[in-house]
Amino acid sequence: MGRYVIRRLIQAIPVLLGTTFLIFAIVYALPGDPLQALAGEKRVDPVFAAAMREQFHLNEPLIVRYGYYLRDIVTGNFGTTFRGLPVSTIFEGKFQVTFKLAITALIFEAVIGVGLGLWAALRRGRWEDKFILAITLLMVSIPTLVSGFVLQLVLGVKLKLGTGIDFFPVAGVQDGMRSYLLPGFVLAMVSIAYLTRLTRTSLMETLRADYIRTAVAKGMPRRRVLGRHALRNSLIPLVTYLGADLGTLMGGAVITETIFNLPGIGQQLFQSVYLRENPVVVGIVTVLVLIYIVANLVVDLLYAVLDPRIRYE
Amino acid sequence: MNNPSVDTHPLSDEVGQEPLLAVDNLHVEFVTRQGLVKAVNGVSYTVNAGESLAVLGESGSGKSVTAQAIMGILDMPPARVPKGQIRFRGTDMLKLSDQARGQIRGQRIAMIFQDALSALNPVFTVGWQISEMFRVHRGMSKRDGMKKAVELMDRVRIPAAKQRVNDYPHQFSGGMRQRIMIAMSIALDPEVLIADEPTTALDVTVQAQIMELLAELQRESNMGLILITHDLGVVADVADKIAVMYGGRIVEHAPVHDLYKNPGHPYSKGLLESIPRVDQKGQELYAIKGLPPNLLDMPSGCAFHPRCPYRRDNCVTDVPPLYEISGTRGSACHYYREVLDGTVG
Repeated sequence: MGRYVIRRLIQAIPVLLGTTFLIFAIVYALPGDPLQALAGEKRVDPVFAAAMREQFHLNEPLIVRYGYYLRDIVTGNFGTTFRGLPVSTIFEGKFQVTFKLAITALIFEAVIGVGLGLWAALRRGRWEDKFILAITLLMVSIPTLVSGFVLQLVLGVKLKLGTGIDFFPVAGVQDGMRSYLLPGFVLAMVSIAYLTRLTRTSLMETLRADYIRTAVAKGMPRRRVLGRHALRNSLIPLVTYLGADLGTLMGGAVITETIFNLPGIGQQLFQSVYLRENPVVVGIVTVLVLIYIVANLVVDLLYAVLDPRIRYE
Repeated sequence: MNNPSVDTHPLSDEVGQEPLLAVDNLHVEFVTRQGLVKAVNGVSYTVNAGESLAVLGESGSGKSVTAQAIMGILDMPPARVPKGQIRFRGTDMLKLSDQARGQIRGQRIAMIFQDALSALNPVFTVGWQISEMFRVHRGMSKRDGMKKAVELMDRVRIPAAKQRVNDYPHQFSGGMRQRIMIAMSIALDPEVLIADEPTTALDVTVQAQIMELLAELQRESNMGLILITHDLGVVADVADKIAVMYGGRIVEHAPVHDLYKNPGHPYSKGLLESIPRVDQKGQELYAIKGLPPNLLDMPSGCAFHPRCPYRRDNCVTDVPPLYEISGTRGSACHYYREVLDGTVG
């Protein structure tokens, strides 16, 4: 097990190199001069520009600049922005916001998605099942941009005006965990729908398995057949999906954070791309890739816990 | 038997008494998109304590469906039982409540399935799966249940049972897995054991060992054994009597040696002739020509007539009743006498 973890971490190195280089190359290949973007409409002082180019190695070839970047990353230094701020200062507090948002969404997803999926599977073919399938189809069809603003208006603004109680704060994070409820749900919506369908299929497939028939023939009560014999087996594909989805949720937070004005990494990423703050963009992506890799590793290790047939040597 | 609640009749050991298990004119059908599939059409057989009945037939003959109806593990719907009785010690189980049925299933009538690898739950240890019987049905503690599991694994002769009780099904060989399946089924000393093709997925050498084990366990605890198989070679040493099924009916029933010596139905005869024999080396293997009947579109008259070498005109139109050949034998063939005499019509 220990050796497996180490091997997986070593395997993550080329992935990390590949993704960061790609994003590095793409960001710097964007048309326009980052220094000009910094100055807006005004003319940039050539002496200043030359000094900046020197400091940020902008005259060097791409591969050399990437080399400098890697050297800094290894020592935990994400570099400085063109404005002279350390990138790590910009990160401060922002990853926490996005992480809380993603975790809230993940919890919504796991609870609602798995719950609805199990219910649909047990009511297969009846109206409950058909209703849930219709709802999930609706959920994947509505873009986050639409569902976000609609829920913000209805559950946030209108409900507050109607009842006088602020159930769901519509912006910012000043209300603690409560601030994350609505954005978390909005962020989770599409994933809830996918997970519902995945759970439904997975449980239905498990219920057809021979060992379920055995459990029934052993005289086990229905609740035990479902709760012990079937559930554990149908969980395996769900864990994979949830783990991989954590990365998707953190990436998808860009839109949700903008709608609900959450000072998270998604919003920062958007601004940094807009302002050509290349070191920040590459830094954020590097951290996201790391989170994604770790989440997948945790999923693979959970596999072995859920399914004894999987062993890592 | 350790069942204090058994509704045994005071005269239950006397001749002519209600058998331990009696399937009586059972009909099972499945409602499908393509139409009504009549899988079992009036099957009757009995098993007494200490007796072995082999139910023989090819896939789709209704032998497994009958067994599942006895266990009460058919999915209803799509399955339904429009007619018939399944009497266990005189009580028709089809009329019992779900709860009363649940008290019989697994505890007094148990079942072994064909492929133990898929029939055992892959994510629980074998000890957990065996001891579950004691924990759920007898309210035993985990520790006592595990002790019982080790005892049972010893009883079905799994080497080093104590060390292996915490292993998972995939860590055992095919034969050992089937032994675990057997240990699980006999955990609560059932009165009837149904084995649905218990050796089909195993090597020939292992097949013999498993059959021996089943026969031995049956002798020790005087169970009624229903052995479902399509393999005539497997049953000769274990079974007392044979019921041959075709197209959802019993076409012949007989004491095992009578049937081997002289089959009374063209289908049984075909089955016997299709067993490869050493003294026929070099000759072509015999096979019953044609295909098993389509359950959605059964042939008229005798279901076997399209494949039958004895066929006459009335076979196409008249469904043969189960003719009584002797007190213990019956054949559902209009021309059973000729079949017995061996004169092809």
